[in-house]
Amino acid sequence: MIFIDIAAEPAADSMPPIEPNVSSLIGLAGDLKGILAVHCPAAVALGVTTAMLGMEVTALGEDVKDAIGEIANMVAGGLKVSLAAVDKKVELALPTTVIGKAIRTSGLSGATRAMVPFSSPLGRFGIELRFVLS
Amino acid sequence: MKGEQLNSFTEINEKIIESTIEIFTGMVMMEIAVAGEPLQTMGPLKKSITGMVGLAGTHKGVLAVHFPKPVALAVTGSFLGMEVEEINEDVQDAIGEIANMLGGNLKTILSDRGKDIHLSLPSTIYGDEYAFSSQAEVDQVILPFQAPAGIFYVEVELER
Repeated sequence: MIFIDIAAEPAADSMPPIEPNVSSLIGLAGDLKGILAVHCPAAVALGVTTAMLGMEVTALGEDVKDAIGEIANMVAGGLKVSLAAVDKKVELALPTTVIGKAIRTSGLSGATRAMVPFSSPLGRFGIELRFVLS
Repeated sequence: MKGEQLNSFTEINEKIIESTIEIFTGMVMMEIAVAGEPLQTMGPLKKSITGMVGLAGTHKGVLAVHFPKPVALAVTGSFLGMEVEEINEDVQDAIGEIANMLGGNLKTILSDRGKDIHLSLPSTIYGDEYAFSSQAEVDQVILPFQAPAGIFYVEVELER
């Protein structure tokens, strides 16, 4: 869909953290309660948006917000389908995007957190899921 | 049609204001007041923390509450009954919990006794400077409130 080859990085404690300039978050509710987030440094966010829209995007603005928000939406949608296959019903909220410098996101303490770093030709980015089973 | 929608959103605004004041008076133990008319958009947030919670089901949306750092510290201090000087885990939990409570009330405002609407987990975002926005096709309102330590904002975005 986006035509960029990416690979999940093997889990390792020593990997440097991803410093996102763009984070898109989408809430999940139902049998699993949580939040899914896509964290991208500026270069990755711009490259992905350029690839998705098929036009050069050079500023972190509306287009980037829509593109990365849509990725959060699609990943969460995929998760929803996978969970439905094991009889867990999950509904999605609206994606929200935060663009800025030195942004940090966190969840309620006590939730399970999974962060998967990916590498791509544009740089690294991360997909994060925090959840509790209700 | 447009007028009708605006009317119902005004009604929702009033109820959100009411429940925000209720939560602050009853749970946070802080007196707050409405600080002017609702805003349509907001510039980038500087040195702030945002608590947000998603709504899914018959209504899809996001509720967010944006606190500048000094207000967040004062609110957490009052809510948890302890002094906080930096944005730490306690502040994140307190601000997330306030978003959660507001989301719970919004759920009941939007649907009878909140049935058919579910909340996601609350989440917090903070940073030196960030812009917070949702996807295009939403009805959005930003309500400013005055707390003793400064102004904060409650934002609601709902899918049309």
